[in-house]
Amino acid sequence: MTASAAVRRLGKYREVARMSARNKLRYRGNFAGSMLTYGLFVYVFSRIWAAAYAGKAGIAGYDYSMSVWYFIIAEVSVFGFGRFFWNLAEDLKSGQVAYLLAKPYGFIGYHFAQAMGQGLLDAGVIFLEGLAAGLILAGLPPNFMLWRLALVMVSLLIAGCLQFFLQMSIAMTAFWVEENAAFFWIFQKLALVVGTLLPLEFLPLWAQTAAVWTPLPSLSYAPGRIAVAASPGESLVLMGLQLAWLAAATLLSRLVFMAGHRKISIQGG
Amino acid sequence: MNVIEAEGLEKTFTTRVKPEGLKASFASLVKPRMREVAAVKGVSFEVESGEVLAFLGPNGAGKSTTIKMLTGILAPSAGKARVLGLDPAKERLELSRYIGAVFGQRSQLWFHLPPADSFRLIGAIYEIDESDRIWRQAELVERFGLAPYMDVPVRKLSLGERIRCEIAASLLPCPQVLFLDEPTIGLDVIAKREIRLLLAEAAEVDDVTVFLTSHDIGDIEKLCKRAIIIHHGEVVVDESMKDLRHRALARKLVGVKYAEPVRFQIDGLSPVKVKAADVAGAAGIAGAAGVAGAGDGAWTAASFEVDTRCHQLPDLIRALAEKGEILDLTVEDEPLENIIAGIYGAQSGAEAAAAARPRTASAPAAPQTTAPAGEKAFS
Ligand SMILES: Nc1ncnc2c1ncn2[C@@H]1O[C@H](COP(=O)(O)OP(=O)(O)OP(=O)(O)O)[C@@H](O)[C@H]1O
Ligand SMILES: [Mg+2]
Repeated sequence: MTASAAVRRLGKYREVARMSARNKLRYRGNFAGSMLTYGLFVYVFSRIWAAAYAGKAGIAGYDYSMSVWYFIIAEVSVFGFGRFFWNLAEDLKSGQVAYLLAKPYGFIGYHFAQAMGQGLLDAGVIFLEGLAAGLILAGLPPNFMLWRLALVMVSLLIAGCLQFFLQMSIAMTAFWVEENAAFFWIFQKLALVVGTLLPLEFLPLWAQTAAVWTPLPSLSYAPGRIAVAASPGESLVLMGLQLAWLAAATLLSRLVFMAGHRKISIQGG
Repeated sequence: MNVIEAEGLEKTFTTRVKPEGLKASFASLVKPRMREVAAVKGVSFEVESGEVLAFLGPNGAGKSTTIKMLTGILAPSAGKARVLGLDPAKERLELSRYIGAVFGQRSQLWFHLPPADSFRLIGAIYEIDESDRIWRQAELVERFGLAPYMDVPVRKLSLGERIRCEIAASLLPCPQVLFLDEPTIGLDVIAKREIRLLLAEAAEVDDVTVFLTSHDIGDIEKLCKRAIIIHHGEVVVDESMKDLRHRALARKLVGVKYAEPVRFQIDGLSPVKVKAADVAGAAGIAGAAGVAGAGDGAWTAASFEVDTRCHQLPDLIRALAEKGEILDLTVEDEPLENIIAGIYGAQSGAEAAAAARPRTASAPAAPQTTAPAGEKAFS
């Protein structure tokens, strides 16, 4: 493949992402709902933490400001990248896959570009809102450094990709079972408990040990931890783990597609 | 050269039977009951390059399923398909570069964005050079008259405008074969006519093979050179439009109305519908037995279905004129729709194939229950 052919091949996915972003941007109200909910969550949680930290300097190694900032960053992954499933499931269940399969692009790649086009916008907006809310509610994070901010953004980006490939894999179980929303629901709740609402260190030891064997800590815990506590070395380990899980999830989605797409039955038309 | 070949193509769907009631629902979680639906049962045909082909059949006949197999979207349960020499199931990606598909009930355009954006995206997806795309797009916009719509969000377009954009979008990458599944569904008479003209032009100008399903006989009569009719998942008719139309032309509907009640019989030809002179006999509407009974009474009006291969039309009209003073006489071609309705009405593939065979000259013209002519009040 020549260089220009490769550029063109990638260019189509960039164009899909751009369309998806434009689709999201068509009116500003599209962001209002999640911004409002996110703001409310952050505020309520900061109040809960304030009550929990009354008279205490630290819990499990986190002080008040760290806990608030942790929650702010961990939730960016959920609000920015946590709801791909619904669009994917809709595409798979409605006959719209018919069009998606009849075009010369990778099925998963197309969905990835589409999801990221809007996910990056969502996450970006929420991230900025989070920074503002954090400064107001908790001031600068205790050991703030610029490298942290940079690594947090990279870690969130990897988390977003991981979110996509995991949710895509779950969505593609639609090839076998019609009602697969329950799988996503379980995934979502587990992800919420493991590292989103609370840092991993707050969980009982057995749960911490178990969680290490799942991709869940790579979704929210890694960026949250890097934002407030991790040393440069620990940050790199966390991100390395994230990348490893991303590779595994990418492979998983490939396998699910290969195993399932011939089973597809397209409704209607 | 054949661009499409189907050989014993089959598709069987396995669907889960959703039981009623809570208890049964739980039972089905453990041991689901499955039902098999044979949507397409061994369909074979060939389509040559440059053909415009109508792929017909009643609701549920398996048309959309066949198109999905030919485009590689569904994997066939059995049989083989080749499109442009490729196996759609195995070489879907490669094939998708050379074919286009329009599903009338879905949209490939982004609903909230203007068609111009979707066109640009399609250009990128098919890896068309930007300058080529702009040139080709301008040509299509001109031909399809899309200039006023290109910058309007798709959701604000009327159905007819949207379908025009859809078809133009499918033609943008210059496909060699265009599959259209009910492109004119829900369109008004004028919009339908426009779409037909545009498709005919596309077949001519772009040299694209058109494979079209439709329930609109007009689409087919005006546009297609050949028709394949499938029913109950099997091919029952595969012939040129000319032959199909010829069958329709062989049959005439003759209506006659007299000033005075008359009483007569014509050998080998019974009216499909009469208007009896006395009100008591007026129940005589189509239906062989009823009509035969009414033959004893007197009529003021009657209509006949005449197969011109066994009755000479002039003879019949002369015979009718001798019976009394004629007020009105009509001779109509049997609409193609009736022929197709006869095939669609069959209960099985075999029966449909029988209905599709041209009638032999000796067979009497049986009254058609589905014929719209039988519903028209005759006065
Ligand atoms: N995904 C599916 N699962 C189960 N059965 C299906 C599925 N898709 C189609 N069928 C069945 O297969 C048969 C053929 O369907 P198909 O959509 O091909 O018909 P069609 O000829 O396109 O009809 P129409 O003119 O109504 O569009 C129908 O009996 C339908 O119920
Ligand atoms: Mg159909």
